[in-house]
Amino acid sequence: MENIIEIQGVKKYYKIAKREKGTFMALATLFNRKYETKKAVDDISFSIKPGEIVGFIGPNGAGKSTTVKMLSGILYPDAGTIKINGFIPYKQRKQYVKNIGVVFGQKSQLNWDLPLIESFELMKYIYRIPQKQYEENLDLFIQLLDMEDFINQPVRQLSLGQRMRGDIVASLLHSPQIVFLDEPTIGLDVVAKERIREFVRYMNQIRHTTIIFTTHDMQDIEKVCDRLIMIDKGKKVYDGSIQEIKNKYANFKSIELLLEDGSKELKTFDVSVTPMSAVMEQLFSEKKIKDITICESEIEDIIRDIYEGRVVLAQPEAERN
Amino acid sequence: MNELKIALQSLKMSVRTRMQYRVDSLVATLAVFIRESANIIVIYLALLKFDNINGWNVNEMLFLFSLLFLTYAFVVSLFADLRDFSRMIREGRFDRLMVRPRGLLFQLILNNADLMASAGHGTLGILLFLISAGKVGICWDFATILYYLGAIIGGVLLQGGMFIFFSSLSFYFLETNSLREIFYWNMRKFAGYPISIYHKLIQGLLIYVVPFAFVNYFPAQYLLRKPDLINYNEIYIYIAPLVGIAVYLSSYLFWRVSVRRYYSTGN
Repeated sequence: MENIIEIQGVKKYYKIAKREKGTFMALATLFNRKYETKKAVDDISFSIKPGEIVGFIGPNGAGKSTTVKMLSGILYPDAGTIKINGFIPYKQRKQYVKNIGVVFGQKSQLNWDLPLIESFELMKYIYRIPQKQYEENLDLFIQLLDMEDFINQPVRQLSLGQRMRGDIVASLLHSPQIVFLDEPTIGLDVVAKERIREFVRYMNQIRHTTIIFTTHDMQDIEKVCDRLIMIDKGKKVYDGSIQEIKNKYANFKSIELLLEDGSKELKTFDVSVTPMSAVMEQLFSEKKIKDITICESEIEDIIRDIYEGRVVLAQPEAERN
Repeated sequence: MNELKIALQSLKMSVRTRMQYRVDSLVATLAVFIRESANIIVIYLALLKFDNINGWNVNEMLFLFSLLFLTYAFVVSLFADLRDFSRMIREGRFDRLMVRPRGLLFQLILNNADLMASAGHGTLGILLFLISAGKVGICWDFATILYYLGAIIGGVLLQGGMFIFFSSLSFYFLETNSLREIFYWNMRKFAGYPISIYHKLIQGLLIYVVPFAFVNYFPAQYLLRKPDLINYNEIYIYIAPLVGIAVYLSSYLFWRVSVRRYYSTGN
């Protein structure tokens, strides 16, 4: 199948004015500015097929938002090519965005003072959604996301979870083929998260919507996504299935040590390289240990270990095509 | 037609939003009305003593002012988002407009309307017009009414164009309010009086740089023909409505160029 999203060698650099310490130096920068270049996105490539649902993760400041902005046509890349659905997003903005939906979890697009339905109506006109399609989608989404109770309340009175559901509906009423969800579960409780995950799965399985899902919650990824793209410091560090990363790190064990002086230490190691017996031997000879807990690495731990540099990933996976 | 539906839905939303805060809306409207009226009252009282300013009597002065208020009533209902544009950029709300399949300026113009300011300025403008229009010797025939409407539209476009220009600067500098404070609001204060009373430098600013003179002074001169018109090329009074269109179009072009910067930097 043809790729619906194709990204090749994309780079995005920001020029940041250097700030000097002290009032005098700060004043001096008014006249003589020095710039630093920050590599927000540094040579990222990937491709996505229609109907795929991809988790896009990385620590804060890794370049996730910048990448999503480039994908949705808000920013243009300094180098590389982006082709989505046959369009170059930043060059053919108006045509391109007709077929995408974007949810910025941290920035609502709803009118704060009015019931959800008013914002939905505006979307109907902005996207020229035929009345029939609008009604069908709205009825379906309201039912799936269980929104009857608060559809007529002003948005300011809604809980975060309710508001987020409203935002998702507003972005999907025009039945976009591609949806970017930028942290749609941020700050939500378990129930609200689960409801959104179910809905996202539905859109993907029944409607075959291509979805890119950024999040910090690994549960989101495990429960919703087939594929994971991880970036760090502007570079892609992993691209593959969730199962693959789990298998790969199944041999990684974490040991929590409680030392006799009361302090705790966390060690992660690969039992296929250093057998458990050897690790234990070494640990017991080096430290005064009161108690140990051995943990099976959950995907959550693996990711954290990768972020924190305890586990160094080998070269990124070969390009999937 | 679809554009009209967007406009109506947006207007409906602006009205409904304000209806949520009825008392606040009323107070805000009154505040604008009283603030602006205070200036007028000062001038009115001064003119009781001096009889006229450079040949303009009190009713003619009120007529001159009415143009400023009437046009601004439309400007704040259409260009409210552009007035507050630097805040919009800083809060990242502009991104949202970029992922919708519509022109960016189109969305900005239709989106929000500052209905309270509009009502405040509008009421005062209509009031001043009603008080003065019958007493300044204008014969309201068809051609005059046509010119008058053209002047209002031109004045709205001219000020809207200036808002677009200052908003475009937001793509280069994060904060542009103080520039606008100097060049828009201060100049607007000057424009309340016949510009012939000012130093040549300020006259030049009002005609060529921040051309408020074409919002009210020259249109009023077309209708009133006061003797101080001799200081200026008479063509100005005929082209006043066109100047608005020209300012709007050139600001629009500047916007088109500037908005490209946003694609490269984000906010």
